[in-house]
Amino acid sequence: MDDYQIPPPDLRGRAHADRMFRMLGALVTGYEWLANGAHSRRPSTQRVDRDLNLVVDEIRIEGQNVRSYRLVAAGGEKLPSWQPGCHLDVLLPTGRRRQYSLCGDPRDRGSYRIAVRRIDTGAGGSRELHDSVGTGCALTVRGPRNGFPYVRADRYLFIAGGIGITPILPMVKQAAADGAQWQLVYTGRSRASMPFLDELSALDPARVRLRPYDEFGFPASGSELLQYAPNQATVYCCGPAPIIANVRRDLPDSAAQALHFERFTTPPIVDGRPFEIALTRSNRVLTVPADRSALDVIRQQIPDIAYSCQRGFCGTCRSRVISGEVDHRDRVLTDGERTDTMTICVSRSRGDRIVLDL
Amino acid sequence: MFGHHRNDKGRDDPDDLVLEPRDVTFDWSNLPTHWVPDEPLVTHTCNVLHLLLPAGERWFVDLFTRAVPLIKDDRLREDVLGFIGQETLHARSHQGVLDHWKTRGIDTDPYVAQIEWMFRAALGDRELPAKRREEWLIERLAIVAAIEHITATLGNWALNSPALDAAKADPTMLDLLRWHGAEEVVHRAVAFDLFTHLDGRYLHRARAMLTTAPIMLWLWVRGIAFLMRTDPELGGRVKPRWRHYFRASRRHLLPPAHQLVGQTLNYCRPSYHPSKEFSTGQAVAYLASSPAATAAAV
Repeated sequence: MDDYQIPPPDLRGRAHADRMFRMLGALVTGYEWLANGAHSRRPSTQRVDRDLNLVVDEIRIEGQNVRSYRLVAAGGEKLPSWQPGCHLDVLLPTGRRRQYSLCGDPRDRGSYRIAVRRIDTGAGGSRELHDSVGTGCALTVRGPRNGFPYVRADRYLFIAGGIGITPILPMVKQAAADGAQWQLVYTGRSRASMPFLDELSALDPARVRLRPYDEFGFPASGSELLQYAPNQATVYCCGPAPIIANVRRDLPDSAAQALHFERFTTPPIVDGRPFEIALTRSNRVLTVPADRSALDVIRQQIPDIAYSCQRGFCGTCRSRVISGEVDHRDRVLTDGERTDTMTICVSRSRGDRIVLDL
Repeated sequence: MFGHHRNDKGRDDPDDLVLEPRDVTFDWSNLPTHWVPDEPLVTHTCNVLHLLLPAGERWFVDLFTRAVPLIKDDRLREDVLGFIGQETLHARSHQGVLDHWKTRGIDTDPYVAQIEWMFRAALGDRELPAKRREEWLIERLAIVAAIEHITATLGNWALNSPALDAAKADPTMLDLLRWHGAEEVVHRAVAFDLFTHLDGRYLHRARAMLTTAPIMLWLWVRGIAFLMRTDPELGGRVKPRWRHYFRASRRHLLPPAHQLVGQTLNYCRPSYHPSKEFSTGQAVAYLASSPAATAAAV
């Protein structure tokens, strides 16, 4: 800090400091003086409320264990517009936050539709929606946000696995309306479990290929699904992680030229053990359960903590370790950095407790 | 609560994107010195990016990380965190080129040391009282917003530069420039929105651009001259000339001056917003087919 008084060496190795950079230093000083000048004061930062207060207007059964929810504004207002691929952040009554793709009609500005499969072995979000959110219930949501942007193209292959049909459905309808050349491959456990077959039957049946596992088996490779790609097609894929991984791997050998995909979740934690984190600056001890990340737990206490990829490659969440042995699971820190740093989004503790400078 | 939506500019261009970093890697072992064959000026004009960006983007990340606690908008906070992750990977990827040059005996340290000094010292932190410290942080966010408009302009140009393919430019380097350019286009509004959220005074925005753009041009000219002096295959015999730049830009191998000046002035219009420029759809489509981005680890 403050070594800006001493400009860097000359570029051609002459003995004096670089003259141009000395001028640049003076310019910055002048700029700072302007910034602190007496003219207009900076307006105070306004809090922006992104919550939408919605009401469940209608619930429909779309397949085995799948329900769709039609949501409207509590006061009947027009809703923010959205595009195929957008999702909502739904705040459930117990405080859980879940993301669900919008699967209705983007031209309908009066309502949103999401569809949810009940997963009995999941973390409880889908059970909560199915069991305790009925017609007339109020829901707070945020969004829409687009994590799976749909880009206009002439040729598409859509690949959907199970409930992964939700973001794909509005895309297919858009492609059909635009007169694009498209194919849809739709997989799932069985026909009875695959939602929206009725809506898909209204589209050109020659373009819709249903491949339930109980008739065709679980797709053994990405190529099995990519074989339907029109030449130079853009692929949109949403479904179980193994399907996405296989499609990514086999894409270069297919007729398709681009791949967009959306995962449902961050990768599961493998061999996680619970441990404690002591935060020295905020003077707190937190317990990280086996199935949650340290970042996830710390964020509840420190909402402004910086993180980004949540997969251990960007290094944004790196934190200084004061004591404890770290189980490093990232792909970014060097061996030197690992002696006193950890990426809290994926790394865990080898022992029972880790002390962080947070 | 329903009035916040920024723009309704038709359904063609994707909007409200979730920003995510991509875990890319580039292999430089086969990179020729003049990766646009027989075009040393074009090569080195693009190469200046590798000199400026690692230090610059680390500076962005540092400022943005410290701005996060000031944000009172959850959606903008998400954007800023995604931006931080993307910029971190940009800095690391361009650093990879510098590291590769070092193994080939091309030493860029003297120039990079000056850029590091500019960002870390001249534009770095000061011992200041808390209030003025915050003002200095936000003043620098105005500079980041200005630079980000320039990088989005360059990124948009890189995505629309078929002449570089026709000139047989190195495909890995083109992918780096276009992957980076595409992410710049995709996140082009974040720095502007952050500045607008925390400050938003027009004078400060325009002043930042009018100061930043000439300095960027000056750094570029110096960087090109430095690289051409250091270039082992040129041996100091070829000097950069403005007429070479104009000739190259007429052949669409470099962005034309009128586009750069035009976009600089465009930023200074009171009604400017980054979402009105460039195509998110084109950038997203590139990212779905970029060799580095599609090969990124799952």
